Formats: sequence, structure tokens, C-alpha cells
Amino acid sequence: MPARNHKQWMAAPNLKDGEWIDSRVYTDQAIFDEELEKIFKNAWIPVCHESELPKAYDFRTTSIANEPVIVCRGPDNEVRAFLNVCPHRGMLIERRPSGSFYEGQPSGNPKRMTCMFHAWQFDMKGNCVYISREKEGYQDRLPKESVGLRRLRCEVKFGGFVWVNLNDNPVDLEEWAGKPFECLRKTLDAEPMEVFHYHKAIVNTNYKLWHDTNCEFYHDFMHYHNRVTGFNDAYFARKNEAFEHGHIVVGTFEVNYDQYEGFESRAGLSFPHLPPNQWYMIDLFPGMNFNLRGSALRCDVVTPLGPDKVMIEFRGLGLKRDTPEERQTRINHHNSIWGPFGRNLHEDLIGVQGQGTTMRPGSESRRVLHGRQENQTIHDENGMRHYYAEWGKWMNRLPSNPEAPFTQVAVAAE
Amino acid sequence: MDTQVEISAPTMGGGLDPSISRDVADAVRDTIYRATILLDSQEWNNWLELCDESFSYDIKSWSPEINYDMTYLHASRKDMEALIRLLPKHNTDHSPLTRHTSVYTVDVGDNGETASAVSGFIVFQHLLDGTNSHIDSGESRLFLVGKYLDTFKIVDGRAMFTSRIARLENRRLDKGSHWPI
Ligand code: FES
Ligand SMILES: [Fe+2]
Repeated sequence: MPARNHKQWMAAPNLKDGEWIDSRVYTDQAIFDEELEKIFKNAWIPVCHESELPKAYDFRTTSIANEPVIVCRGPDNEVRAFLNVCPHRGMLIERRPSGSFYEGQPSGNPKRMTCMFHAWQFDMKGNCVYISREKEGYQDRLPKESVGLRRLRCEVKFGGFVWVNLNDNPVDLEEWAGKPFECLRKTLDAEPMEVFHYHKAIVNTNYKLWHDTNCEFYHDFMHYHNRVTGFNDAYFARKNEAFEHGHIVVGTFEVNYDQYEGFESRAGLSFPHLPPNQWYMIDLFPGMNFNLRGSALRCDVVTPLGPDKVMIEFRGLGLKRDTPEERQTRINHHNSIWGPFGRNLHEDLIGVQGQGTTMRPGSESRRVLHGRQENQTIHDENGMRHYYAEWGKWMNRLPSNPEAPFTQVAVAAE
Repeated sequence: MDTQVEISAPTMGGGLDPSISRDVADAVRDTIYRATILLDSQEWNNWLELCDESFSYDIKSWSPEINYDMTYLHASRKDMEALIRLLPKHNTDHSPLTRHTSVYTVDVGDNGETASAVSGFIVFQHLLDGTNSHIDSGESRLFLVGKYLDTFKIVDGRAMFTSRIARLENRRLDKGSHWPI
């Protein structure tokens, strides 16, 4: 077809419902605000890994949907999560990204979370254990027993990730993600893992566009590395399988790393219970990715910052028992592809930032096509169709026309 | 916090003829600044000419988030050659980088045949196709801040890199880069 005029350009594409969406889902501020309320405040988020807080009184801070969150390990070894918000006058209780409460702070005692402002103190279970000049100020009107922290649902699961949910009555975590994790459950739970890589990117794009990139392999045309190490019959046969709650799993195949100059096979350091050089990918709604490539596990977590702004945290993990040499090899395997100076990640981020540039608040609405049908194999776009059907349910909006309420028609394409 | 940079007491001249020691230190500075210019102008192979066969290259950073000394990239000279040769096959951000390097200390080994140096660097990214080139091409942004920890072998009065560790302070790296820093 020749280049189109405006009317032709704006017309619905010649594809079925569910095979394309309207770009306003990426650009509209009201939709974005609603996503934080309806989705991110009700979804399980893997905020960190247990190895980031290995000892009693260790903590890690994070945030979900604009709410500051603190995760800490108690003397009983339990990992718990709380809003990182002081019940007195709203000070952020802990400002550092990580650390330990084992030592005292300028305003407070050892083994306590202390709000530096007026020195209220909390234990690792979130109980308020000290209000400075309590009797003098509050007499008996506000006992410390009534001003504990806001506790959050928190579980350590699926390979030691720390999952937090802001909803007090969420769907059970096993029910939420157990099925997609089945393919790697034995591997991830075989022995303790450890995070060896962390960095973040803030890019001007919608968080769903990042997740889309993690859900589709068609963009391997952008990665020279993947084309030469991957494109073969086994690759094109990889299944792209949809699971309840909007998750997908892309099945494994054997990667030929030695086809790319300077890259070695990862066979020697395979994760437990896996044949050599396998590659599994689990994508969880609404924007988390677990990617196991032979010798290293990668995990991405999105924190949406605006319709056209997202922070992505990247982690790399190996086995806790790695020798220094093994660890260094895993790190090299991970970072040569997925590090900030690696072959692929830079390209992925350029790709989604390019999408973010054409789809920002105020941009004319566009039709974004998800209509490839290839028997639910690797270049099929069923992963994205499945995701947006789920998104439509949570938001009660039709992805192809976000002003209209969601109807099951959109799912029919699956 | 950068626990990984240890500056030893000055060793200039320790047991060595001071004029040899000065010559070696001058050669080291010359190599570091030449490397800066060659990297800035993307003359990757000419940069590699300044590196000994035994050269190793690392980009590292201490993460207070995960309490881990991270290696973002590790490469031998051979790895760097392959990386550079394959650059044209990869999609990349073409916004040029300039490195602003200051050599802080040079320590010359006792026999005058080796040396090490610590330099501070700042890398600016001069946007070309960064986001929307219509709006932001021509803008310069701070991209990386860190220190180079370099070691050298002195060959015929020339300082050749035997290793470079680029230690980054910033860990928010956004789109990252395909290029040696
Ligand atoms: S705001 Fe925390 S003690 Fe006052
Ligand atoms: Fe990719």
C-alpha cells in the first residue's frame, strides 16, 4: 500500500479485535494514574532478592505506585515489608537504599527503625516501641500500641525473591505466579541464589512498552548477537505460552553462543536441573521479567513514573555457593549481553525509547499492531495480546479504544 | 563511598634515578591523555595500539543497593578487538562521548619498567540521536563519572596499558553504551 492520508492512517487496521491497540494506553495521564491505583496497588511486585538483606536487621527500601516501602529481616529471620512512612508526621523512616538497623542511629537505638525527625522507634515487626515524651505529650490518649507501621503483604518465594503487595487481601502468590514459574521452579529453588548485578535505567517510554519488548522475540532482528547465536529451527519452534493473570512463558532451546565471535558456551555453569545453554523467559503481568540464559538469571522490575517515563531495575543472579572464578564467569556471561555495556540491553532500551518518542502525552493516537499469528511460537505476538486482554480486565477499558469499557471480544483473538 | 581506590604513599623516585622516574611518569600521563583523545574520536583500534597484549579492561562499580562490587564489563585485549570489530553490526546510540580526564597520581615501579596511575574522569554525552533529535540533538548531558585505575608496562620509553579499570560512581545508566569508556 502506498503512503496513507490522515484518514487512512487513523483507520482501524484490517486485523481482528485484540490484534491491535490504541496508543492512548501509553500516553494518557488519567489512564496512567488509574493503572497505579487499579493494577500496581494490587499486584505482587518482586521488590528485591533475599540475598540483598542476608542478616537479621538488614533492610532494603523501594517503592510501589508512589508509596515508599521498606523491607527488613527480623531477628527471627522473617522478611517483612512496611510502608516506609512514619505514623507521626509522615517522614520517610529510612532514607538509604540498604543497610542495617543493628547499629544505633543518631536519633535512635540499635535494633530499631528510628524516624530521625522526632525519634519514634519501631521494631522489626513494625510495632511502635518508643514515642519520645509520650506521657507528657499524649497523656493516655495515643498509646504507642496504636501507632504501629502499616504492614504489607510480603513473601519470599520463587528463588528467594521478596514479593510485596499493597493490597491486604491479594490473590495468593502461588495462585498468582505458580504456574508460569513451574518451568523453572526446581531450578530456582534448588539452592540459594545471590544477586551480583544491579543497575537502573530511567527511560522516556511507557512501562508497558518495556514489558512488550520482554514479551516478544520478533525484535531479535534488532540484535545481531541473537540472530547469529539463535536463529535456527529449534529457535523458531520455541513456544510462547500464555498463563492466567496475564503472564507468559517463552520455552527453551539451545543457544549456540560460539556463533558469536568472542562468546563462549555457558554449558559449564548451567543452573541446577537444567541442560546446558538453555534459555527460559517468564514475563509476569504487569511488568516483571525473569530470564534464565544458561548460567545467569536476570530479573527486570518496572516502576512506572509517568505515562512516558519508567524506571527499570536490572538484577543479575548466580548461585550463592559459586567460587570466585565461577562467579566472575557468570557475571561475564550476564553482562556481555545484558549489562549496561553489553550487546543487547542498549539496543532494547534504544528501541523502547524510540517508541516513547512517538507516543508521549499529547501525541495523536496511533494503532499499535500485535497481530502476528505463528502457532504461538516465538515470533507470534500472542504474548502481548494476552497481556493487553488482562490489562483491559483490570482497567475495564478496551485496549483498542480505551474510552470504551472492556468486553470479552478482545480476548477472542486468543 | 569508593572503597576500591587505594592511593599509596608517593613512590616517585623510590630507589630509582629521579629523572628516570619523572620520564616514566610523563610517559604515563601522555598515554592516558592520548587514550582520552583516541576514545573521544572513536579511533578504537588506535586506542588499542596503546594497550599491551596482556591488557585487560573492566568497568566496575560498587553498589550500595546490593552491597556488591559489580563488574559491568570485563574483557581481555582479544575480547576488546572482537567487541570493536562487531560494533558496526550492532545498533547503537550515535551521540558522541567526550571524556574529561585528570591524572591525579602516577606511581612508578622500582625498576622503572612498570607504573600505575589514578585519574578522575567525567564523560559527557553530546546528543545526536539520543531521543528526539529534533528537540535534543546538540544538548550535552553528564553521562558517567568515575576514576580510571590504570597499570602500565614501559617499553622503549613508552607507557603501554596493561590494565584499565573504569570505576563508575553513577549506577543510573539509562540506555548504557556499546563503546569503551
Ligand atoms: S515524623 Fe517521624 S517521629 Fe515525627
Ligand atoms: Fe532484546
